[in-house]
Amino acid sequence: MHNCDHYNGERYPHMKNRKFVKQEVDAVVVGLGAAGGVLLSELAGAGFNVVGIEAGPFWNPQEDFASDELHARTLAWNDTRLSTGGDALQLGANNCGRGVGGGTVHFTGVFYRFHESDFRVRTLDGVAEDWPISYQDLEPYYAKVEKDIKVSGPKDFPWGSFHGPYPYPEREPISANSQIFRQGCEALGIRSTVAPLAILSAPFDGRPPCINRGFCNQGCLPNAKFSTLIHHIPRAIQAGAEVLSDSMVTRILVNRQGRVTGVEFNHDGKNYEQKAKIVIVSAFVIETPRLLLNSACPQYPDGLANSSGLVGKYVMPHSGHDVHGKFDQEIRLYKGTPVMAVSQDFYETDPGRGFVRGYSLNAHGSRPVAMASMLATNGGIWGKRLREIMLEWNHYARITVVGEVLPNVNNSVSLSDEKDEYGIPRAQVSFSYGENDQKLIAHGIETCNQIFEAAGGQRAFVVPDSAHLMGGCRMGHDPKESVITGFCQSHDIPNLFICDASVFVTSGGANPTETVMAIASRTAQHLIEQRGKLLSGTSRRSIH
Amino acid sequence: MDRKGQGLYPGYDVLALQDEWDAVTRQIVNKRLGPFQYKVCSHWEQTMIKTLAEHLTYDCRDEVLTWITAHVDQQLASPTGEAQRKPNTPPQRELIRGGLKMLDAWSKNQYGQAFLQLEQDQQFQIINSLQTGSLETIKGWDHSLQKDLFKKLVGLVIEAYYSHPWTWSEMGYGGPSYPRGYVRIGLGVTDPWEPKRGPSHA
Repeated sequence: MHNCDHYNGERYPHMKNRKFVKQEVDAVVVGLGAAGGVLLSELAGAGFNVVGIEAGPFWNPQEDFASDELHARTLAWNDTRLSTGGDALQLGANNCGRGVGGGTVHFTGVFYRFHESDFRVRTLDGVAEDWPISYQDLEPYYAKVEKDIKVSGPKDFPWGSFHGPYPYPEREPISANSQIFRQGCEALGIRSTVAPLAILSAPFDGRPPCINRGFCNQGCLPNAKFSTLIHHIPRAIQAGAEVLSDSMVTRILVNRQGRVTGVEFNHDGKNYEQKAKIVIVSAFVIETPRLLLNSACPQYPDGLANSSGLVGKYVMPHSGHDVHGKFDQEIRLYKGTPVMAVSQDFYETDPGRGFVRGYSLNAHGSRPVAMASMLATNGGIWGKRLREIMLEWNHYARITVVGEVLPNVNNSVSLSDEKDEYGIPRAQVSFSYGENDQKLIAHGIETCNQIFEAAGGQRAFVVPDSAHLMGGCRMGHDPKESVITGFCQSHDIPNLFICDASVFVTSGGANPTETVMAIASRTAQHLIEQRGKLLSGTSRRSIH
Repeated sequence: MDRKGQGLYPGYDVLALQDEWDAVTRQIVNKRLGPFQYKVCSHWEQTMIKTLAEHLTYDCRDEVLTWITAHVDQQLASPTGEAQRKPNTPPQRELIRGGLKMLDAWSKNQYGQAFLQLEQDQQFQIINSLQTGSLETIKGWDHSLQKDLFKKLVGLVIEAYYSHPWTWSEMGYGGPSYPRGYVRIGLGVTDPWEPKRGPSHA
């Protein structure tokens, strides 16, 4: 699907009209997802000459999206990765986006801030590591992002440091599945709210409020759900940024002084270059480390930004077990925005539980292919039993446990011996849960089952799942223990920035997109403030 | 339960709603009704996949099984990746095509008959053992590879089965709904056009 190869206010089916073909731009952004979209838009808005390069297509929702689960696979990064370890991760549509907008095109739109404790896990719980930045550092950027895209949410959000109100009112009505969840919570004394969502509850910017079609994970057709594809990218282009789509960056270029000078990318089998004063890698948790490692050169034989040896290390998913309850009445999981009610009552460490950290509970709708496939491939249920369950699927309710996973150096992305179509080694992703993760998962599952029972349902089944990816290029103060600074600048190469979910030090127990975007916005602000130093090539690593 | 289908929503046909769907979705869904062209799988492979799909879905409607077979063929023909696989597992095309041959060879060793000639019960037992990786290893197909084959096969078959509009109808799935969306989404309410449970099950 090639809608256009580049977009400079006009779509072209070829590479002949590039805006900065010979020119060294101020910054090139590799990957236009949650982080890349924000960076491109904010840097272009501040007058930077910027080019965004995206491996996948430049989507046109009305032609490229459909109300269909199989068709929506095109929105995922399906290039084969080698997945291994005790709890080998499911990738592709489960967590990796491809195309302009990246994962924001198929995320559920759940929009949480992290809590203050998330940035201080080492200090508070004696495990993992503290972030070099605090909640207070990100707070203004959380607020900015929420305001920019008109997040809808409750007037009173009971957890963390931000209690609302959100820019737009909370969604109303909520789905039957979310009602059941809230009823069960109430009966047990668990606090719940309507979900904060990057989905409109009222018109904004020519976009309508949500029509409860339910296909958030398949690409929003009415454009009621935010994505960087429909919000940040048009603003970036308006401000003068160029977008090159269907273009896979294969290597970051380095000069003899050890500074990066731009990138090499492949489009339709041909190699091109884009020179830049600053390179920002925003290619997500697997492709970012892969690109840095694949860019090894005589100056940096172990890959770029990798003097610590930590590029690709400490990768974390969220545990995302799907707990199903069965009810006499119909729930109809397919109707409405998938997540419309949540609880973070189990988010913080509680010494009485026998594990540290915690989780969010998201009442979570589903669709036929997603539900049956999970039951079959993860649950091992097929044949008569699967058919019987699915014939009564309208009677199932579902809650997803978004559980914090502690960082472990052995959970990693590395280069395998197998090559892909570009001749780049395929990524190998290794993951196993630790003991704390397992205890947390068991606790979350039990809580969900109690909620179903309190709401008048029965325990049905649990499907092991994971969600989101974070880590792999973590930030930190110590160049021996981290890859980048708190401003996402490489410790090793001052004009190389890494800005996406790979910079997370811990995973938190909440959907990460808002934190990714807040970090991107803060990084953009830093680049804008430091532009003189950074663009003249005299910059040194900035502290914190 | 009737293996031919019926479900709790007798008389409901999701395809009757398709005038309310956007054109792109309508085209995608209707293509699943056939006719199909095969790019990779031989006639024997198609029959094997269809037979396995009948067990995995517990459905014997030829039209539905044919779509599933065509979907598997499309996936095996596609140059797009398979998102992830284990380091020592062959790519899906090799895994499935080699796996079908292995199952047939195993049947011949064990029962002296081709897989397709076996009784349904015997086929079912073989699939059961494949899931747990407990067939005796032949031609390098160890326990782990058997499990990988099962997982890949069941994944491809089930995603196709639950993408067929006939399956949607019997589940009482309202289906694609753009541009009209869903209005009555709360407990105990449905939009007027949504399927209602049949009286015998109410």
